[in-house]
Amino acid sequence: MPPIVEVNGLTKRFPGGITAVNNITFQVHEGEIFGFLGPNGAGKSTTIMMLTTLLRPTSGRAHIAGFDIIKQPNQVRSVIGYVSQDLAVDDNLTGRENLRLQAGFYHLPAREARARIAELLDLVGLNERADFRVETYSGGMRKRLDIAAGLLHRPRLLFLDEPTLGLDIQTRREIWRYVTGLQQSFGMTIFLTTHYLEEADVLCDHIAIIDQGVIKTIDTPGHLKAQFGGDIVTLRFAPGTSQEQEALALESIARLDVVSNIQKTGDEVMIITPDGDRTVPVVFETIQPLDVSVQSVTVKRPSLDDVYVAVTGRHLRDEVIDAEASRRARIRMRRVKS
Amino acid sequence: MNGIMLVDAYYVYWREMKRLSRQKTRIVMSVIQPVVWLVLMGNMMTGLTNNPFAARMIGADSYLDFMTPGIMIMSALFGSVFGGVSIIWDRQTGFLNKMLAAPISRTAIPLGKMAGIASQAALQVIVIGIIALLLGVEFATGPAGFLLALVIIILFSFGVSGISLSLATILKTHESLFAVMNFVTLPMMFASNAIFPKAAMPSWLELIATYNPLSHAVTPIRTLIVQGWVWDRIINGLVVMALFALVMIIVSSRQFKRSVG
Repeated sequence: MPPIVEVNGLTKRFPGGITAVNNITFQVHEGEIFGFLGPNGAGKSTTIMMLTTLLRPTSGRAHIAGFDIIKQPNQVRSVIGYVSQDLAVDDNLTGRENLRLQAGFYHLPAREARARIAELLDLVGLNERADFRVETYSGGMRKRLDIAAGLLHRPRLLFLDEPTLGLDIQTRREIWRYVTGLQQSFGMTIFLTTHYLEEADVLCDHIAIIDQGVIKTIDTPGHLKAQFGGDIVTLRFAPGTSQEQEALALESIARLDVVSNIQKTGDEVMIITPDGDRTVPVVFETIQPLDVSVQSVTVKRPSLDDVYVAVTGRHLRDEVIDAEASRRARIRMRRVKS
Repeated sequence: MNGIMLVDAYYVYWREMKRLSRQKTRIVMSVIQPVVWLVLMGNMMTGLTNNPFAARMIGADSYLDFMTPGIMIMSALFGSVFGGVSIIWDRQTGFLNKMLAAPISRTAIPLGKMAGIASQAALQVIVIGIIALLLGVEFATGPAGFLLALVIIILFSFGVSGISLSLATILKTHESLFAVMNFVTLPMMFASNAIFPKAAMPSWLELIATYNPLSHAVTPIRTLIVQGWVWDRIINGLVVMALFALVMIIVSSRQFKRSVG
């Protein structure tokens, strides 16, 4: 079966010279949940905007279900569903009216639309509130309505851009229960971006990590974590440790057999090892003669967050965004919180 | 233009009308505002028609007859001039992207919004027509004349909201759109024959008033109220308004398509 998403050398340069997405190539297979990870400004949303035909690429090609995103935008639009970060539901309409509008936009016959709307309202648990104005909904209810709208025309591929952004943990879990349930019952492909690595870890079949417009790695969450060969020992040297001392210490740690990889991020040193508990004393023995003191040490099983740090060299963090994006973010937060 | 596009535009329109019907304050204000204008301004100025010189310039027996078409157009103008706000709002809430990710005609979005704004203007003018009738203003041309006046108002509203929507694709915030449109509205209003007769204006202002699209909307409606079926005055305004609407539909949908890539 050909992949449902096929991206080849896709690039977006904005006027002013910012390259938001730089020559990315990847595939998504039918039926999987594909996770797109990266900090704000990494190019996640720009990629989604191009794949959903909302933004024209500067160069490169992409096909969705065999349709060219530039030459056949309307065919692409009919096979995809798009749920943006924005909670794009109309507050002045009722939940049911929002869905009716969506059904109109996707040219569903009226009778079919009515049946599907009833079914979806039931699925996302909004039946009782369907005829109330969205104004009166909580953030989680709005999100569920928004997702229901994205599912109305039974898309083969659903784009979920940060579906749980700003929601509390309970609501996030609830949203995921709905989404995975829906994915199983409709057998569709989900293209997901998220900030929450634990979510990606549990949900995704494949994960792509994107940073500064470039895809750094694509693999299954299991493989990504296995690349680390086991545990992570994180060291922090005591303040006042000189550069030379530190370099010397790192060098001798790296030479140890039990250490499969070592990386320095800020003032933290990450040591990758098959067995963290046994490595700690060995490391201490090694650096003791060098007269460096350690402020703290932790041992943990690798998480996707560690993979992320190792791949991109930093933690998921918020970046400076442009005025338009921040205005939208403010509006979104207001609506999520209400 | 094709069938699918009209269906899509209908749904955009349907949303606009639903939204409007939920905004109680806006509905109440859009009725109160013209009433205040008609009753206050109309009564304040009745003295004008007692002066034979002024009465000749106004060309009507009562100032209220003269003023009613002006108030109709003014309401349509005020209602349409901020039509672009809804596009800006949709862009900021992400609703615009949601519509654009659907397989709908791009032209349908500005067209549906314009139709919504024009319907609102038409409803307002019907209310004004009824109030004016209660105050003794009658169409010399009867109900048929009133319907023709509605057509002119709708065309005018399409044109003005087209300007507003086109600007909204360039100006990305409410504030800047408000600033620009406020700057345009009142001069457009007063540099026309809506409230004062052109004959009373200095020649430079009269020149502006002659080419102001607002005057072209006011003149045929005033003719329908005061004079009757004087076709050459009516046709002229009707043609200008039809062209105004058509040009602004084309310009705004082009602008819109360009702005969404």
